[in-house]
Amino acid sequence: MNIMLKLENVTKIYPGAEHIKAVDDLSFDLSEGEICTVVGPSGCGKTTAMKMINRLIPMTSGKIYIDGQNINRLDTIELRRNIGYVIQNIGLFPNMTIAENIAVVPKMKGWDKDRITERAESLLELINLAPEEFMDRYPRELSGGQQQRIGVARAMAADPPIMLMDEPFGAIDPINREHLQNEFLRIQERVKKTIVFVTHDIDEAIKMGDKICLLKAGKLVQFDGPEKMLTEPANDFVRDFLGGDRTLKRLNLLKLKAAMKPDPPVIMQGESPEKAKAMLTELKVDNLIVVDAEKRLLGYVNHEALQKDVDEVRKVTRPTDCFLPASSSLKDGLSEIFTHDLGYLIVVDDDKKVIGILDTEDIRGILRR
Amino acid sequence: MEGRAFTPILKKIIPVLITIVIVAWLYKIYGAWAYTVKNLAEFFRLTWEHLVLVVVSMVAAVTVGVGLGTLMTRKGFDRLSPAIMGVVNVWQSFPSLGVIALAYGFLPLLGLSGIGAVPALIALFFTAVAPIVRNTYAGIDAVSNDVIEAATGMGMNPKQILFRIELPNALPVIMGGIRTSTALIVGTAPLAFLIGGGGLGFWIFTGIALMDMGIMIAGAVPVALIAMVADFALARTEKIVVSRGIQAEEYQVAI
Repeated sequence: MNIMLKLENVTKIYPGAEHIKAVDDLSFDLSEGEICTVVGPSGCGKTTAMKMINRLIPMTSGKIYIDGQNINRLDTIELRRNIGYVIQNIGLFPNMTIAENIAVVPKMKGWDKDRITERAESLLELINLAPEEFMDRYPRELSGGQQQRIGVARAMAADPPIMLMDEPFGAIDPINREHLQNEFLRIQERVKKTIVFVTHDIDEAIKMGDKICLLKAGKLVQFDGPEKMLTEPANDFVRDFLGGDRTLKRLNLLKLKAAMKPDPPVIMQGESPEKAKAMLTELKVDNLIVVDAEKRLLGYVNHEALQKDVDEVRKVTRPTDCFLPASSSLKDGLSEIFTHDLGYLIVVDDDKKVIGILDTEDIRGILRR
Repeated sequence: MEGRAFTPILKKIIPVLITIVIVAWLYKIYGAWAYTVKNLAEFFRLTWEHLVLVVVSMVAAVTVGVGLGTLMTRKGFDRLSPAIMGVVNVWQSFPSLGVIALAYGFLPLLGLSGIGAVPALIALFFTAVAPIVRNTYAGIDAVSNDVIEAATGMGMNPKQILFRIELPNALPVIMGGIRTSTALIVGTAPLAFLIGGGGLGFWIFTGIALMDMGIMIAGAVPVALIAMVADFALARTEKIVVSRGIQAEEYQVAI
């Protein structure tokens, strides 16, 4: 894939602190459309590293390329207008309406009025805020979460290929943060920006990052995808930083689809109880999933239910909530398994068609891999 | 809803009405009305002189004050600003009568006349400039660093940051300084008479000297009226030029 952002031996030494390298010989490549979370203990240089990309902080040595262009050869102002920038404390302009805030960069780039309005409206729709309600309001009239969403929309206004985000959800309460993270990932699916995302929260780094860049005292310790980092931490520092529960963190990352046993045995609702009994005995299981003609989940039957004298299993089928779509995380799956008595989780697709099952042994298996 | 919207207006209007009635009554019984009518031409001349003193010194003070206050927040100059603020703060505590006296005593040392409208204007200017410098500096300084960082990161140049972000957001504070100065200047302007600067101070001090309440009131009441009109006009201006996003809550439309 096309390399969108390239850091080459980037070093930052602050004047007055010559013995400390705030960022020390940092190199990495980021492909187009990837999110790179930059994480590390406080003072590790993650914000400094990010701010050198839009030259808010001048680098001491090294080179940064955006789409193959050396950023030091570009005009600073022009460079910044082509990079979306989101900061932790949002920094919406309080004297401007939401529409005006979003319009800032497009206006500087000389877009015409209609195009700017159109863009602002579509961005508000993208972040799930009704344009007619929010365009003419002022930042102080919005909640913190809404303001941060506007901050993201403002950064995307002129459709920059690269975005820098400095702890964008750091000041938001945990419930809203999770919501904003999910919403942001959903937006990213559509816009496919190349993003450098600074955070101090390792869980956020794992959740948001296609790549994680872990820094310690200005030095790159490990640069890998989250799954690789969790399974193969480069050294003890990484292992410690990921935490003792790094195996459990993988549960959050892995999807049911990757761990489930596909095409489990099922029984059609119109079959006879005798056939169900025979299947239970033959498969040596306690219960059996019942589906309709389209393989959609209806419930389950077990020996006890089959004691009743009926002609079709449909009539003794017990409903169950123990199912999740295949795109859910293993963590949610595990939780469901422990919540219900079925002993396993039924995995369905978007039409509620049964496509697999998952039990704790399957989870153990994939975590061991 | 209507009741709630109506009460504040009543609360504002009733004191104004009471004041007008009392002033009109004083005007009549002391003969100030008769004096004014008799000397109508002089009344207009003095009022005109007074307005010139106020307007000219204020325009100069706003220009210099906002300029200097802004300059003090710029890179390179910001090291000087604590020193300048120190001077401004001491200066502001100086009584305005003292400033008038200083102009009278000091200007001749520079080879200028200490008497007349020009020294009066200079004195008024120096009185008015301090609050404006102070508020401009404080207003711009108070604009959140996050806002400035966001603006810089989005690719605004320093000029755009100043005119689109810093000054608009500092405007309520700057306007506060201008209103303070205006009130100060309208009240100080009568003292200009003492160094031959003209204006309505002439009647006020004549009335005091002759112990004639009528003449004094005939000068004092127009001064008070000018002060009220100026403050009202500035309040209206503030409402128009300051963005609704940063106006005091009382102006905010209910959500």
